[in-house]
Amino acid sequence: MIVAEQKPLEEVRRMIAPYQRVLILGCGTCMTVCNAGGEREVSFLHSALKVAQLKSPNGTHTFSEYTVKRQCDPEFLELLVDKVADIDAVLSLGCGIGVQAVAERFPDMPVLPGVNTSFLGMTSEWGVWDERCAACGDCRLDDTGGICPITRCTKGILNGPCAGSKNGKCEANKDMDCAWILIYKRLERLGQLEKMRRYYPPRNFRTIPRPKRLMSKANTDLGENDG
Amino acid sequence: MYLPVSDNIQNNQVNRMKESSPDHSLMPPCQVACPLHMDIREYVDLVAQGKIMEALQVIRNDNPFPSICAYVCNQPCEEACRRRQVDKPVAIRALKRFAVEFGGDRMIQAKAKTTHSERVAIVGSGPAGLAAAYYLRKLGYPATIFEADSEPGGMLRVGIPEYRLPREVLDTEVQRLIQMGVEIRINTRVVSLDLLFDMGYQAIFVAIGAHQSLRMGIEGEDNSGVIDGATFLREVNLGLKPSLGKRVAVVGGGNVAIDAARTALRLRARKVSILYRRSQAEMPADHVEVEQALEEGVKIQFQVAPIRIKGGSKQLSVTCVRMELGEPDASGRSRPVPIKGSEFNEELDTLISAIGQAPQTPGDFHVRVGKDSTIQVDPVTLTTNRLGVFAGGDAVTGPATVVETLATGRLAASRIDDYLQHRYPVTSKEERETLTGDLLPETIEMIRKTERLEPPILPPEARAKGFEPVELVYDWESAINEARRCLRCGMGAEILFQDKCATCLTCLRVCPYHVPYLDDSGTIQIPAEQCQACGICVAECPAKAIVLRNPYDRRHITEELDYVVKSAAQSKSKPLIIGFCCQYGLFGTGTLAGLWRGAKTGIWIVPVLCVAKVEAEHILRAYEMGAEGVFIAGCGEQCTRENTAFWIRQRVEKVRRTLSQIGLEPERLETFNLAATDEDPVKALDKFTEKIGGLHLISVIMQEVKK
Ligand SMILES: Cc1cc2nc3c(=O)[nH]c(=O)nc-3n(C[C@H](O)[C@H](O)[C@H](O)COP(=O)(O)OP(=O)(O)OC[C@H]3O[C@@H](n4cnc5c(N)ncnc54)[C@H](O)[C@@H]3O)c2cc1C
Ligand code: SF4
Ligand code: SF4
Ligand code: SF4
Repeated sequence: MIVAEQKPLEEVRRMIAPYQRVLILGCGTCMTVCNAGGEREVSFLHSALKVAQLKSPNGTHTFSEYTVKRQCDPEFLELLVDKVADIDAVLSLGCGIGVQAVAERFPDMPVLPGVNTSFLGMTSEWGVWDERCAACGDCRLDDTGGICPITRCTKGILNGPCAGSKNGKCEANKDMDCAWILIYKRLERLGQLEKMRRYYPPRNFRTIPRPKRLMSKANTDLGENDG
Repeated sequence: MYLPVSDNIQNNQVNRMKESSPDHSLMPPCQVACPLHMDIREYVDLVAQGKIMEALQVIRNDNPFPSICAYVCNQPCEEACRRRQVDKPVAIRALKRFAVEFGGDRMIQAKAKTTHSERVAIVGSGPAGLAAAYYLRKLGYPATIFEADSEPGGMLRVGIPEYRLPREVLDTEVQRLIQMGVEIRINTRVVSLDLLFDMGYQAIFVAIGAHQSLRMGIEGEDNSGVIDGATFLREVNLGLKPSLGKRVAVVGGGNVAIDAARTALRLRARKVSILYRRSQAEMPADHVEVEQALEEGVKIQFQVAPIRIKGGSKQLSVTCVRMELGEPDASGRSRPVPIKGSEFNEELDTLISAIGQAPQTPGDFHVRVGKDSTIQVDPVTLTTNRLGVFAGGDAVTGPATVVETLATGRLAASRIDDYLQHRYPVTSKEERETLTGDLLPETIEMIRKTERLEPPILPPEARAKGFEPVELVYDWESAINEARRCLRCGMGAEILFQDKCATCLTCLRVCPYHVPYLDDSGTIQIPAEQCQACGICVAECPAKAIVLRNPYDRRHITEELDYVVKSAAQSKSKPLIIGFCCQYGLFGTGTLAGLWRGAKTGIWIVPVLCVAKVEAEHILRAYEMGAEGVFIAGCGEQCTRENTAFWIRQRVEKVRRTLSQIGLEPERLETFNLAATDEDPVKALDKFTEKIGGLHLISVIMQEVKK
């Protein structure tokens, strides 16, 4: 899941300053799950903006709120057609993808990001999310016992542990488990310790091509697949 | 700083919430078990808030004579109460007694207008007849009760002893009926129903009870030292002073036997024992009353039955036999079998036989009589074989209970109404879904165990001296604490908007009682029979998909907040401080009242039914509506819920973070513990008010400086 946090109120206020009628738009999927932009956060932000307005007015604003199931799918955005008719800007609490999807669907409408999209992660307990994937495009989790060294090792090294590993903790952050010790233990459990002996050549992140688009559907355009 | 309350939010979801306010609360087992289906959960909750008059109002909605039930009801609701699965059932009847006495039931005037010309005759003034009269008057019919005895009340008058039902309680209810226009003709035994029809009555309700004592069927039963229980109690109750020796034994194991024994004791019998043929486990009498009888000095001999009586008046030699328990009989209880050679003799002065009663219907009534001499009726319409003749109460069911007969009395009134108005009887009004299923062990484990508080009772020595009421009334604190034990079954949370649920699992993670779960299809479920209605998941669900089942609970805080802001706007007192305060316990009537007095200084209270239901948005909204300071005052350790303090802290911290981002001092949000012993909450609040006053001044100065 995509994890994000709401932007500081000050920043949000700066962004909306030029616009009078603002629609605060939530997202009912990842942003709801990570407590950053679901229906509850939408109304909380709405209220916070109003209180801030009372304390130190910057322009006149009227707000409306709405939450769609998922901002990153254009079909869900059709529901917004009426709602954006008489507003001046959308303050999207969707992740970066949502913001762009809304902007694409409503090309004449300024769309402002209300959250900082932070990482791909999982819920560890109520209210706590941990990064688990860097979307690096070259997954090696089979070699590392299902533990991602890129996100979980402070240094992101591919051949660990480094000399800074002490009692299973990381020298850079004593509260954090050393990812490579975790990997070692997991591989030991799986009887695959030989994988620790391998050397993984460094990857040149600058040259890894980003895929830009993924398709799970088969390309059935006439002539391509059938011989 | 004040903003109008509704500021044109074009928010579909809010509107949707407003439109869809169906009541999805389920009928709790206590209400199902009560023959009158009283809204127990509601009035118990009102008692828990100290709202006694409101509680009484709810009680009176469903019960014509709550003061009588408050004394003598056999409380089937407590049998069914789910709190039993946690520790002990809620003391529902005692709470009703508290509400009735402290709520001023005596003062309530009953009114009725006559809107129909058809006259209805009621034969018998027991609870069935009285209830029918009450509801017939409410429906607008002239009603006349014919009573054979010299005083109205049936078994309430001539059966139940005075130490369990003071007669002024019964008299008050009878007076109220007369006030409503019910005509009561005492000393009038009805022998023929035709006569009543001839007198112009168009419908008759036969409620003659079950007064014929069953015979033991043993040798010497007609001895003058032998008296039957119903007759004995009747004579005592009518002040006839039946002759009673010093050594008394009562045969039977029901409530009548216990009442007869305890009455004999109060009439100065020196030695009173009960002979019961089965064991204590099978005894049908209420166990509390059995306990009280034992405390007062009644001896009970179990598995013993008389088989022969010899001798004259005041000198009885009763031969008894011991019993062993065999196979279960038709009643499901083990059949007692005499043990050969176990006979023994008891020397007694008086033997009271109390082994049951049956109705005795005059033959000239010409109503069909069936098993155990009971009158045969259609259970839905209460009609007998005769047109226009209805019957109910003990006469139809055999000896039953006050609350059951009240229910048939009420039913009879509406059936007679149907009949007189030529309406097809509506079988049952639309019933709410009922709550079924037991609490799971993991839920029970998390529910705070609290001792059941019993109302005080007179000490046994004082009791046995006379006919003073045995059971006394709660004081305020005990009543409120006992009422707070109710689990509010069926009032919990539900996912009203499944389409909004993101299956984020927040509810599953935050619920202190482990209620929400993922079903096999990966959908989150909140089972109604487990939910403890704490409202925590409602306040935390990031999709706002969860609501409380009861529309009032759902809207309560928002509406109270709106109301407070409107009233505050009119009063113009500054600074405006809004407090969300626990309404339970003595706070609603005690501490809160103290805070209310502070309203002069601009403190406004939003009463909440558990501060765990206060959401971060509610708090922020208070500022949005112009509050200079906000506080949350809970009941601290007295809270019956788990984790309330933790969740309040979470929400307070969230709002404080936002306040500082806005440039408002986080000290403008504070929490108080109304039940704190170390610091007087009212004083603590005074300090807070002073501080806010200061902050208010600063913000005013800052504004001036800016300008
Ligand atoms: C000793 C005792 C203790 C009890 N304790 C409890 C208790 O604690 N809790 C509880 O819930 N229940 C208790 N009960 C049961 C309860 O009192 C009865 O179930 C209830 O009173 C039955 O009501 P009813 O109106 O059907 O009949 P009744 O109360 O018996 O009233 C019938 C009336 O009809 C009159 N009548 C009869 N024939 C005629 C006629 N031909 N013409 C005119 N009038 C007539 C009778 O005089 C009587 O007044 C007790 C019963 C007894 C006997
Ligand atoms: S706990 Fe309350 S609502 Fe539940 S059965 Fe008992 S009295 Fe009724
Ligand atoms: S907290 Fe709300 S959104 Fe999350 S699983 Fe529960 S009902 Fe669904
Ligand atoms: S209302 Fe409370 S008890 Fe019920 S499911 Fe939600 S958190 Fe659990």
